Order: sequence, then C-alpha cells, then structure tokens
Amino acid sequence: MPPNAAANGSALRVRDVARRFGGTTALAGASLELRTGERLALLGPNGAGKTTLVRCLSGRVIPDSGEIEMFGRPLPGTGGRHALGFVPQEIALYPDLTARENLEAFGRFHGLRGKDLRDAVLWALAWTGLSDRAGDLTKTFSGGMKRRVNIACGVLHRPLVLLLDEPTVGVDPQSRERIFVMLEELQDQGTSILLTTHQLDEAEQRCDRIVIIDHGRVIAQGTLSELIESTVGINRRVTLKLAEPGPRLEGFQTGEDPRELVGEVGDVALELPALLTRLRESGGQVSDVEVRAPSLHSVFIHLTGRELRE
Amino acid sequence: MIWTVVRVGLLRMWHGRTEILLTFVVPIAFFTIFAFIFDEQIGLGKSPKVNVALVDEDATELSRKLMIALAEQEALRVYSPDDGGETPHVFDSVGPARELVLAGGLPLAVVVPEGWAASFTSSGGEARSVRLLADSSDPVATQVVTALIQQLSGRILAAQARDRIETVLSLSGNREAAAAASRFTKPVDVEVVDLFAADKANPVVSMYAAGIAVMFLLFGAVGNAGSLLEEEETQTMERLMCSQLGMTRLLAGKWLLLWIVGVVQVTVMFVWAQLAFGVDLVGHLPGFAVMTTVTAGAASSFALTLAALCRTRVQLNAVAVILILSMSALGGSMVPRYVMSETMQRFGKVTFNAWALDGYTKVFWRDLPLGALVPEVTVLAAVTLVLLLAARLLARRWESI
Repeated sequence: MPPNAAANGSALRVRDVARRFGGTTALAGASLELRTGERLALLGPNGAGKTTLVRCLSGRVIPDSGEIEMFGRPLPGTGGRHALGFVPQEIALYPDLTARENLEAFGRFHGLRGKDLRDAVLWALAWTGLSDRAGDLTKTFSGGMKRRVNIACGVLHRPLVLLLDEPTVGVDPQSRERIFVMLEELQDQGTSILLTTHQLDEAEQRCDRIVIIDHGRVIAQGTLSELIESTVGINRRVTLKLAEPGPRLEGFQTGEDPRELVGEVGDVALELPALLTRLRESGGQVSDVEVRAPSLHSVFIHLTGRELRE
Repeated sequence: MIWTVVRVGLLRMWHGRTEILLTFVVPIAFFTIFAFIFDEQIGLGKSPKVNVALVDEDATELSRKLMIALAEQEALRVYSPDDGGETPHVFDSVGPARELVLAGGLPLAVVVPEGWAASFTSSGGEARSVRLLADSSDPVATQVVTALIQQLSGRILAAQARDRIETVLSLSGNREAAAAASRFTKPVDVEVVDLFAADKANPVVSMYAAGIAVMFLLFGAVGNAGSLLEEEETQTMERLMCSQLGMTRLLAGKWLLLWIVGVVQVTVMFVWAQLAFGVDLVGHLPGFAVMTTVTAGAASSFALTLAALCRTRVQLNAVAVILILSMSALGGSMVPRYVMSETMQRFGKVTFNAWALDGYTKVFWRDLPLGALVPEVTVLAAVTLVLLLAARLLARRWESI
C-alpha cells in the first residue's frame, strides 16, 4: 500500500472533472472517491458519462477542468499511471495469439521481465482458470474465457487501482460469478477496484459502494443502504391483492389492477398483521401479499427517471 | 424477395461511401492515369522523345548529313553537354558517349564508324554498319532509333546516288559507273551493341522483379500497419497507452516490424528471381542490401502514415488501393517509365516507386558502384524520416483526446 493511502484512505479522488466534446457535455463537474481496498460500482444510464470518466482516469481523455488524485498525488493528464490497471469494455486482446502469448505481451508492455513475467503469467493462467488452455488462440475461446483473459492482461503488473469498464457484459451467469471471484481475490490482496456496469445486481451485491452518474454529474454515492435512505427511503413496498375490488385502506392506493392496494410500511412484522386485520374487518378478502424491500433498481429509477436514454 | 436482396445491397453500398468510392471512382482514376501515360503516344501519335548521343567518327559529308538529319527529328533529343543548348553536340569519339549510356544518362548513342561513307563506294567490300550503343532496358528507344537511322540514311544515300548517277550519266554515259553509284541505294545496316545485357542471363527481369517487389512491399506494409486501426477498434490501443509502452515506442516497434517483413519480402522475391530467371542477386548483394534497406524503410513509414491518417480499416484499404496503384503506375512498377511521355516520367518522380526502381536498376542493370545510389538513398531516407514524423504527429489522436 502506498504511503499516502493509509493517511487519507483514498485511492482515487476525482474533483469537479468536466469535459466537453464539441457541443456535447460528457462530464459536467463529476466528483467521486474510490477508497483504498474497496470495490466501487459506477452506475448510470447510457450516455451519462461513465466511460468518459473512466477514460479520464486511464489518461485517454484529458479533462477540460477538475482534478484527479491517486493516493493523494495529482494525476497528470496522460502518463504516470503505472500503479493503474485498465480493462476496457471490448475484448482488447490479440485474437491470433494464444492466451499465454497475450499475457506475456501485455506483461512486457507493463514492464515485467524474466522471472517476474513468468511468475505473473503462471499466476494469471491459474487465476483465470485457463492453465489448460494456455496454448490455445484466444479467438477460439468462449466469451467468458475471453473476458477473463481480458481482465488478466490488465492486472499482470499487480496494479494498486484497477479500472474495469463493464467487465461482465455479454457473459453467462457462471462466467460472471467466476469474474467476481477473481475480483474478490484481487481485492483481498489490496487492490482498489472501480467498475462500471449496467448490471444493478452486480453493483448491489458485489460492490462496497455505489456511485450513480447522470448528465455528466455524480448524483448520488454511498453504500446501498445510504443510497436507499437518502432517496426512496427504507420502507418496504407492500402490495395487497384482493379477491374482489372495493375495500379501501388508509395510506394505500389502488394499483394498476383495481384489485390491488399498494402502500409502504416501516416495520413489516409489526404493521402488516394489523393491516391485514383491518382489511378483513372492512370486508376485504386478501388473496396474496407481496412485500418488496427497496432496491438499487428503485433508487436508480428514482434518481434517473424512466425516460429511455439513447 | 429478390428485389429486397438487391435493395439491401444498394442501401448498404449507399451507406458505406468507401464502397462507392472503390466501385465507381477508383476505376475512373486509374483510367485517367493510364490515359495520361499512353495518350500522348498512342492517341496522338506523339512518342516520348528519345535521348541520344551522336558520335561521328567518320567525319565525312555523308555522316554529317546523317547527324544533322537525326538532330532534326522530332522524336529525338540529342545530348548536349550544356544542358538545353541550341546546337546538338556531336562527339568525335565513342568514349564519352559510351560512358553516358553506361551511367544511365541516355538509353542510346548513335555511332557512325570511321570509313562508313567510304564503305558505300568501295567495290567488293560490305557497307559498314551504323552502331547503336544501347541500354536494352529501353527496347522501344532502340527500335525507334534503328528505324529512323535506316529511314534517314536511306533518303540521304538515295539522294546522293541520284546526284551521282545524273552526274556520271551527263559526263560520260558510263553504265558501269552508274551501276557503282547505284550501290548507295542499299539499306543501311544498324548494329545494336547492348552495353548491359551481354553477360546477363535475363536482362529485363530484374527491373520487373524490383517493380513488382516494391508494389507489393507497399501493399504488405499497409496491410500490416492496419493493425493500428484494429487495435484502436478493439480498445487494445487504449490498453497499450495505459501501459509503459507509449506511442513513440509503439510506432517504432510497428515500423521495425514492417521493415523486417518488407526486407524479407523483397529478398524472397529476388531469390526467386535468381533461381527461376537468373537475376544475379548474389553478385549484387551490397547494392541490393542498400536499396532494400531504404526502400523497405520508406514503405514502412508510408504505411504507418496512411494508417494514422485513416479512421477505419475499410478507409485505409480504399485509400491504400488508390494511392499504391497510382504510385505504382506512375512510378514504373506496372509500366516501364520509358514508355511514358516525358511529362509523365517527370511526374513519376514524385513517387518513391520511381526512386526505388531507379536504384535497383542502377544495381542490377547498370552494375554501378554503391556511390551512384546516393540520390536514391538520400531521397528514400528523407521520405522515411519525414513520413515517420508525420505518422508520429498524426498518432497523437490515439494518445489522448
């Protein structure tokens, strides 16, 4: 861990980063923090500025204004990113090289030589579970296998900070699981990870904190419970399905189906039995009850709306 | 259904403008280039002027008449030491003219040997031939000048014979003398002395080996340089730029790769030319090595520049086809430059095919020493550096935006 990391607990700090492309504002003063050793999910609708922000961090895009710090030190517009690993969204491999040849090439590009390189390649093959396919051309691999090699090529040099742009896009659940097991191993070894994703369940279940970005600005960040508390609230959403429409219940509204009553409760164990009793007393016959905890999905829709983004 | 297939195809073509360019514009461009190459010769009957040196060792009235008649020909440009001088220069000995042809300055020297005129009037002996010291890499020039010499000398000799017959008849009525004078009407022999091909197994093959090798060197280099655009499309470039590699080292590595592949490609071509057609590669190794080094270097830089200039692989392929075929046509890889008009020959010099082919010709055809390659090496090395610099500047778009 670098000396400053423990002091401020911040692996990456982004302050008011803005970037325009012609007449389009991609980033309008985005700020976020990736804490040391954490896994941070960067969420946002299409065109929200996620990829531009990651590219600013990787050095591909130079911000018009704002500051980026890595372990307390300002990061230049380009270069100076040896402690950074980057895994692009595309399969950025040489398809006509074998897995081992790809790993060796990218290891060398990251400055590894000799025994360090050999050890890193062996580790990466084992880490990805591809030791038995090391000599096969990567173009013959399945999507999930390519994704794993793609990630491995970005971490051979053991970066302190890893940026992943949608690392699980287009892979099956088993491959996703494997990829997150790989990332957990890295995190256990102290790597701070920032990943962009459209998979809300990944962010919800697999990340320590979540940053939601829209229209080039960070509109919310924190743990899932913090986000829920600050947006949709912690109440459970309760849907009561009735045998016949008609009965009313205070604090509940009729749903899209007239036989449904929809409302919120703070404490399900305490409040729900009383609700059911009141409903029965008013002549209602409950055929089903659905209790839904607030989720990242509800937070995301609450913050970014239901309008389709292109 | 069938019409839907047609419609989809047309719509895709319409949306892919590069395909339209390749389908409709490229053929027109090539037609235009080849029209320029051949138009002045075939269409309008204007051959490119043949540069010749005149040597009059005979120094007789007859030989002087032939020299003057040759100098007056539209099809010829007679060498003059003060370049562009009004009066055509006539050498009195063969040595300097021979050197000019050997050095590649001229394709031909017309030599009227001593005793040529006298050989027409001496009874019994054969008339002496006019000699053409030729660089047979330009067979057209040899044929044109041979025909001109026979035509002009025939006219001159016929006129002289007519004068003599009339004189003899008017003076003596001697039929025997008139018969002797009539010998002038025999066609003049032209002896072509090939200054280069005598000890070469297959004289023109080396030129074509070089021509084809340079053209495919360019195609091969551009094909390989296209990997830069593939790397951009797959975001591998982005990953590379995040590593310790850096753009300068990436381009240097790509250039070196293209250069190595190019050198091997040209070498394989010439090894085959030696094995199959007797081109003397082994006997010209130093010159071949120098020319191949600088030619492959220039081709590599050209390819990298083109790749850095284009946005997609499809665009690169389209631009490469147009540029390489144009340069190859103008620079002599497809059609020897000596068949082109002088304007097109001068224009061809803007292509590095022309410089490369001139260099290889000096090595394999003229057997010139390495020092003679200085112009070609200088130009190709300069092209290499300038284009490499241009590629580096253009590649900044891959570094950061």
